[in-house]
Amino acid sequence: MLSLFLPLFLVFLLLGLPVFFGLIAAPGILLWLNGQERDIVLLYRNIYNGMDSFPLMAIPFFMLAGEVMNRSNITHRLVEFSQAMIGHFRGGLAHVNVLSSILFAGLSGSAVADVSALGSMLIPAMEAQGYTRKFAAAITASSSIIGPIIPPSGIMIIYAYVMGESVAALFLAGIVPGILIGVSLMLVVRVLANRYDLPAKTRRATWGERGHASLKAIWPLLTPVIILGGILGGVFTPTEAAAIAVGYSLVIGLFVMRTLKWSDLPDVMLRSGMTSAVVLLLVGAAMAFKTVASLSHTPELLASIILGLSDNPLILLFLINILLFIVGMFLDAGPAIIILGPILGPIFTSLGVDSVHFAIIMAVNLTVGLLTPPMGLVLFVTSSVSGLRVETIARATLPFLAVEVLVIFLITYIPALTLTVPRLFGFVH
Amino acid sequence: MGILLGLTRALAALNAALLAAGRQIGTACVGLMVLFILIQVFFRYVLNDAPAWTEEGARFLMLWMTGLMAPTAFRRGGFVAIETLVRLIPDRPATVLQLLLLLVSLCVLVVGVQIAWAETTGFVGRAPTDALRLPLDLTGTDWFKIPKSWARASIAVGCTLLLSVNVELLLRGLVRLLGAGDALLEIADATIMLEAE
Repeated sequence: MLSLFLPLFLVFLLLGLPVFFGLIAAPGILLWLNGQERDIVLLYRNIYNGMDSFPLMAIPFFMLAGEVMNRSNITHRLVEFSQAMIGHFRGGLAHVNVLSSILFAGLSGSAVADVSALGSMLIPAMEAQGYTRKFAAAITASSSIIGPIIPPSGIMIIYAYVMGESVAALFLAGIVPGILIGVSLMLVVRVLANRYDLPAKTRRATWGERGHASLKAIWPLLTPVIILGGILGGVFTPTEAAAIAVGYSLVIGLFVMRTLKWSDLPDVMLRSGMTSAVVLLLVGAAMAFKTVASLSHTPELLASIILGLSDNPLILLFLINILLFIVGMFLDAGPAIIILGPILGPIFTSLGVDSVHFAIIMAVNLTVGLLTPPMGLVLFVTSSVSGLRVETIARATLPFLAVEVLVIFLITYIPALTLTVPRLFGFVH
Repeated sequence: MGILLGLTRALAALNAALLAAGRQIGTACVGLMVLFILIQVFFRYVLNDAPAWTEEGARFLMLWMTGLMAPTAFRRGGFVAIETLVRLIPDRPATVLQLLLLLVSLCVLVVGVQIAWAETTGFVGRAPTDALRLPLDLTGTDWFKIPKSWARASIAVGCTLLLSVNVELLLRGLVRLLGAGDALLEIADATIMLEAE
């Protein structure tokens, strides 16, 4: 009977119960009906135990660092840098949009922060240069999903914690897929630019101008170097690196660029604290949920069902990608990873799929889900930033979405795209 | 209806005040967490002697940050949920469905509050933390070992605040169902999203 907790959880979820309560209510009710009161205490105790974690502290810190960078107006400098480098191509500002997202991803690790920061600046600028607003909104939304794929990344930290993976390995594994999505989007822009005669910035920046733009952007651009360098060099743990990123961004904002005011800090800390609190509570509930999942032997049951469909990992990976894509349409990436990671991860690892590879397949697929209706968080934020309807943006993103789906399959079937970088650093054998 | 409205407004005022205080303390916790970990890094790599209290202290603050700030997110609709069905059906059935879901979350929280307080005041809570101490005099010779209950209380307080918010949301739903929704003050719009994504 305990194995019914998963269908019951899905029913609660579809009815609209917040994920946090569903994760506790579904197993809790069945444990109660089974007369396992002591396990109910264990369920609740594990929420606390799940949250009382040092590695998990990287989440509020990276969010805070992103907020500080954002409030320090570094977005402007990143866009200027991108403009100087590639703004002269046809469809220049669209390329700038994608490159800025790649650079911003190295600071914040959040698609929503990317859309809010870059969209409010680039969508009006693109419109002023002759792009349609829906095209500008579509490329902003589509490129923002690079945020959680290139390190640092909130969802990678969550996955690593819930599944006991190395944060550094997942961070490294996300680099190539993130850049691949960026390059693919640029290729689509290139094709669309020729077909629809998209505007170009007429003058190529001189090397002097490029150097000046690089100097202005150097401080924010160094952040990912410090984070990854510190972690990979064994100098810091990921949590310490995240705290260093906060300290670094504060120094840049307050003393170097002087674009951040002391009076901004309470609001910045409040925002990151509120967002983190929701995520941490979810992770705690997920750890409790995981306990019941193992008590009920549901993963074994699901594994036998999935393996009954086919014993070919390639076919199963195809099917799981479709499942993840559908889940991503209804659920945000973080909660989806929390729920599905402990169930699907072990199945595919037992089939010989590398655990880091599977983590990236899940993370990229579910992150692309942020771009799909009816529950695409990025679509909602882009709609609020651009003033366009969600449906309009969703339709305009289709060419970009198509190429992102293609990248998901490339990542799925060419493990080297994901595993080469972590292998070079000795995280994958 | 008058009594129901009065009760809802009173609870709303109480929650607003408690959660505002919670947000202030939570904000301070965020700042202190960063400070503690930066101190840890400084001591470990510069002075080659990491203090034991920084990591546990930062975890303590993170738990309190979560317990004090998550209820505000819940009150403002910031808890992740699939709201497609609620949006698709007419207003009245949607309100009934939301009330039923709030009853489910109420049950979760009632049990949660009981267990969390029992854990806080029980055997585990009385044990001292590994490294957290408070000085009892200015010379630093006498120290008070902070018990684990001080950290566990974060979840007990958090669950209690969530329960209070849940009851307020239930009352608001009832008022709306009875057709007096216009008499309610709006809760500040949610600006909380899963920015981890």
